[in-house]
Amino acid sequence: MSDVSLALAQTRYALRGFLRDPSALIFTAFFPILLLLLFNAIFTGVTDFNGTHVRAPAYYTASIIAYEIMLVSFSSLLVRVTTNRERGLLKRFRGTPMPSWVYLFSEIARTLVVVAATVAVLVAVGALFYHVTLSARLLAGLVVYLVVGVFCFSALALALTRLCRTADAASAIGPLAATILAFLSGVFIPVAVMPAWMLDLGKVFPLEHLARGLQAAFLLPGSTGITGVDLAVMLAWGAAALIGAVELFGWEPLGAGAGRAHR
Amino acid sequence: MDPVVSVAGLRKSYGDRERLHGISFEVHAGEILGFLGTNGAGKTTTIEILEGYRPYNGGTVSVLGVDPAHATRSWRQRIGLVLQECELDPVYTVRETVTLFARYFRRPTDVAATLEAVGLSAKADDRVGQLSGGQKRRLDVAVGLVGDPEILFLDEPTTGLDPLARREMWTMIEGLRAAGKTIFLTTHYMDEAQHLADRIIILRAGEIAAAGTADELSATLGYRATVSFDAFADLDVDQLGAALGRALRVSESAVHFASPSVQADVAALLDWARDHDVQLANFQVIQPSLDDVFVHLAGDEARGAGEVDR
Repeated sequence: MSDVSLALAQTRYALRGFLRDPSALIFTAFFPILLLLLFNAIFTGVTDFNGTHVRAPAYYTASIIAYEIMLVSFSSLLVRVTTNRERGLLKRFRGTPMPSWVYLFSEIARTLVVVAATVAVLVAVGALFYHVTLSARLLAGLVVYLVVGVFCFSALALALTRLCRTADAASAIGPLAATILAFLSGVFIPVAVMPAWMLDLGKVFPLEHLARGLQAAFLLPGSTGITGVDLAVMLAWGAAALIGAVELFGWEPLGAGAGRAHR
Repeated sequence: MDPVVSVAGLRKSYGDRERLHGISFEVHAGEILGFLGTNGAGKTTTIEILEGYRPYNGGTVSVLGVDPAHATRSWRQRIGLVLQECELDPVYTVRETVTLFARYFRRPTDVAATLEAVGLSAKADDRVGQLSGGQKRRLDVAVGLVGDPEILFLDEPTTGLDPLARREMWTMIEGLRAAGKTIFLTTHYMDEAQHLADRIIILRAGEIAAAGTADELSATLGYRATVSFDAFADLDVDQLGAALGRALRVSESAVHFASPSVQADVAALLDWARDHDVQLANFQVIQPSLDDVFVHLAGDEARGAGEVDR
């Protein structure tokens, strides 16, 4: 079997596991839809975006899509890889002839497929119920941000596996980081009512740029929403994280009990 | 034929503490080598060096002609690992798991045949999460075997298993021996090493304390049968000892002596008893077991343990 078909087989195996894991399905597939329904039940009417009045439901559709991309690519991937490392599964993979890149590719490819599928559902909900008008430009912008977002947040997750010594730590840090960044980035609360200093702080991090780009694509007629600054910030974070991941990624358990493996 | 594993003067330190103090041994094709020691003796450190997981500080190591510190993909094609404390993903079935690992190897064995060899054919479509501890451990072995390795590393395959599951594991390993597999087996059970291994190495505090076949270990370590019987009225220990030419010990109500030549000693004792009209109660000859050898050696280690933080 060639390495490429091995990588695809490993990805299929990872996706099959996703479909069999009820907590992953609830957390990454149903939770964001629920969030979208809740926010749109609370905030109705219009809000300001880039000086124009836009419909709040469309604003939240774009925002929750940005949040979902971070949730799956960052929080969920961080927990998953850290758990598999703690189980010793990564150490076991390392002891086989499988090349390291095949494993990492399969995790990122799995993430990309799960993001694409769940985002498609969110877009459909937005188009059917929340005043999202689909256009070629919107979809082009969505695809670009989705791919760049998955790259950026997956790389961050893989780099951070070194700081999360246990799966428990990852389960705390992953969702916490996504929630805090979501508030700082005008995902949960519209930018029109956010304090300026908080938005400025949010601009340092990639979620703000992903959310702003997607909001522009969804809300500004005839726009792809793509800006050089937004892409550059996400790519810079992603590239730095990728270097960190390559340097720091570990295959053996780090946490409590790991010392027993050294006897 | 070159040995499959060849280790000379292997040293390994963690920080400034040396854990392996220059050990040397070989594993030959088709044999099961039992690597025995208590926790902390250095078994897992040694096996993880051989598996290519750990660097080492001194000596030479060769596994299938390759230094594991420079493990390559083609070398990994030829070895099989059964690690300690490594789980498999519980959401997949037994067959899916073995099929996944089979894909990593150029010439894997047939998945169904591998499941048959480890006795899991009936569980092929069960999820890994539903298996018992013994079944999970046998699945670990299936995953280690599916690449058809030239050497299989088995790190404490029965630790934590109940007695029945242990017996099943032993039966399975005997099947591998019959198939001619070369196996490096670590264990902290002497009876396991005695039962499964062609040769045994006893590791103690990072040094080889003894090595050989089970029979050689019993013999070379000078372990002797013990003859014992209950003390009787009017027993004169010194007189009887002189008559037998052995040093008698009395503990509680029993008399013992170590017997290097059981037949002659028993004959002399029974003659003496007949001549003196003594009935020997609870008369028995106790053969030394390898457990005694191990407990004796491990006991040395336990006594040494007070001196260093372990």
